[in-house]
Amino acid sequence: MRLVIRRLAVTALAAALALLSVAACSSSGGGGSSPASTLVVGEFNPFTGPDAAFGPEMVGGCIPAIRLINANGGVLGHQMSCVQEDTRGDPADAVPAAQKMMATETSLVGVLGPSSDEALATVPLLNTGHVPMFVDTGQAAFDHSPYEYFWRITPADDVKGYAMALWAHQAGYTRAAAVFGNDAGAQSDVPTLASAFTGLGGTIVYNKPFALDQSSYRSEVESILATHPQVIFTEVDPQTAATFLSELQQLHGLMPVIGTEVSLQAPWLKAVNSAIGAASMAKYFQGMQPYAPTSGPAWQTYNKALLASGSKVPQPSQWSSDPYSMTYYDAVNIMALAMLAANSTSPAVFNKDVMTVTEPGSGKTIVTSFAAGKAALAAGKQIQYVGAGGPIVFTQSHNSTGAFEAAKYVSGNLVLVGAVSAAQIAAISK
Amino acid sequence: MNTIVPAIGFGIVTASILAVAGVGFTLQFGVTNILNLAYGDIMTAAAFVAYLVTSAGLNVWLALVAGAAFGSVFSVLLNRCIYTPFVRRGTRLFGMIIVTIAVSLMVQNGLLAIFGASFFSLKMPHPSSVHIAGMVFTTVQLAIIAIAVVAMLLIHLLLRYTKLGKAMRATAADPDLARNCGIATDRVVDLAWAISGALCGLAGVILVMNVTAFTETTGSQFLIPIVAVAVLGGIGQPYGAMLGALVIGITSEVAAAIFNPEYKDVVAFVILVIVLLARPQGILSEVAARKEVAA
Repeated sequence: MRLVIRRLAVTALAAALALLSVAACSSSGGGGSSPASTLVVGEFNPFTGPDAAFGPEMVGGCIPAIRLINANGGVLGHQMSCVQEDTRGDPADAVPAAQKMMATETSLVGVLGPSSDEALATVPLLNTGHVPMFVDTGQAAFDHSPYEYFWRITPADDVKGYAMALWAHQAGYTRAAAVFGNDAGAQSDVPTLASAFTGLGGTIVYNKPFALDQSSYRSEVESILATHPQVIFTEVDPQTAATFLSELQQLHGLMPVIGTEVSLQAPWLKAVNSAIGAASMAKYFQGMQPYAPTSGPAWQTYNKALLASGSKVPQPSQWSSDPYSMTYYDAVNIMALAMLAANSTSPAVFNKDVMTVTEPGSGKTIVTSFAAGKAALAAGKQIQYVGAGGPIVFTQSHNSTGAFEAAKYVSGNLVLVGAVSAAQIAAISK
Repeated sequence: MNTIVPAIGFGIVTASILAVAGVGFTLQFGVTNILNLAYGDIMTAAAFVAYLVTSAGLNVWLALVAGAAFGSVFSVLLNRCIYTPFVRRGTRLFGMIIVTIAVSLMVQNGLLAIFGASFFSLKMPHPSSVHIAGMVFTTVQLAIIAIAVVAMLLIHLLLRYTKLGKAMRATAADPDLARNCGIATDRVVDLAWAISGALCGLAGVILVMNVTAFTETTGSQFLIPIVAVAVLGGIGQPYGAMLGALVIGITSEVAAAIFNPEYKDVVAFVILVIVLLARPQGILSEVAARKEVAA
């Protein structure tokens, strides 16, 4: 009897907790906020685990945006704040983290993220919860996203292929070898690269996936050289790149190499620079990454706020030229301006205005900061927000193409050498 | 054909690294009966020792000696302080494998904590290329082949012509009988850990001389081919491991040249599976066993 009573008590307690959590979910899911409460932006990304570097990059964008928004009177009488939601880079952890966030953050107005690590599992969940999400996943699975609350502000992974092909074509190369790792991320670049380069009149003379982290790539080097390429397109991890390129250099000498944004990250640059030498690195290597100009009024506003972030953003200068931090900053501004345009903090109401405040149009006032946007909207004007990462034009499936820049590594610094515009990419991707 | 001859040359380089690592691994297992899955991580740790030596401005030859010495001392201490207490408490083969995996994780994370998540390179003179019989080598690769040949020759002399070598072979064949015949098996086991550890350290350094950039997981990524070499040759058989290294090293490079490089490991392992279907005991185990009896 005692056991039965105990079981009943446990069941009743569990039911009460479930009801409470459902109630909390329904109040946060697109419900907006109570007067004068602080509006929350969730930083929904890995802060621990193998991709723990993603989270701090997000903080470097969210905190400066919030500072400026709050300093300019906030949104409809509300202050805003950034709250870290650690996904650990694993869907198994990310799904409960999303559920907890939606249940407990009653003034949640949107999230930055999810990343590629957890997007497939959590995007449908956040969409059902009516949470606007500014994702940083590059997965091609979202190229034609049906999700209303999904907004991709950075280019999809497969768009890199178009940018690389265009850049090589502009340099006059007609024969290229594709050296990409056999991982899904790297291989997602290849179809668009091959089709675009071929469409521009070039030929991909070698295209075989590389097994990563082998002790040698000498046979692959010989096979590639037998096809006489003028340039190598690549996305492989640092160790593979260092081994492959040093063997290419030792056996036959280097040739021009065009990498993706993976090859512009510090570990890759360090490994390859040590392997082939600084002079060869500067002479032969260029990498393509989403265009992130470190000039112009929007970037200056972002950078000033970033550098003044104090202890909330450790070593803030490391994010000054980070394209992802800039786009997170822009995403928070876009959400805030959309709320002002809709005159509501309810995501179900303002979500559609994300498009309104970013799309170009005749007679629109171009604004490069939250303060300017707020003033223009208050004056009854229609606005187009152009952020630190440049103009953002969403497609019907809430993707944006954006421009790409080419950079090379000279004396320990990335030096911008040119760019491929969003219009060029749009033209070739049709 | 144009790519096959150079690929054989490249395979010899890969085989040289695999031979040094594989002989150490199989010697360790043969004498101690411990399948040490932390072997790859000790290779990495030795590579980091070599990195410190070259970073201090000393030459790569001293780095090789330092790496081998570190591997030797570390392996003996590892056995004395961690593995032997477990064995004495009756931990069986499967349990010991879990212990070695735990050690592997501890070494990897220790290196990560000390050196950070980055990539490192030994400071070496820039190598030049040498053409030999249609094959292209760098001076570093020729040095790696020479190191492997000398190491294998020394192991052969040790096993075949010294009392210690005979004691090691006897301990590997039947430790109880060896003890009853007056062999100090504890000392032999210590020396087996020291010698196989030195080979492990040496393999770690020549591996990173070849791959140019390394991180805390580089050695463990190389563990599967090492185990394959040992299994192919007949686990516990140093001469089998040498032959296994040649087979796997050359077939993987030739496969990369002829087929898709993505499948270079797959081709090598297909050969491994075929050989083991025909000879489950490995290539040389019976030959070696017959010679043991004759000796």
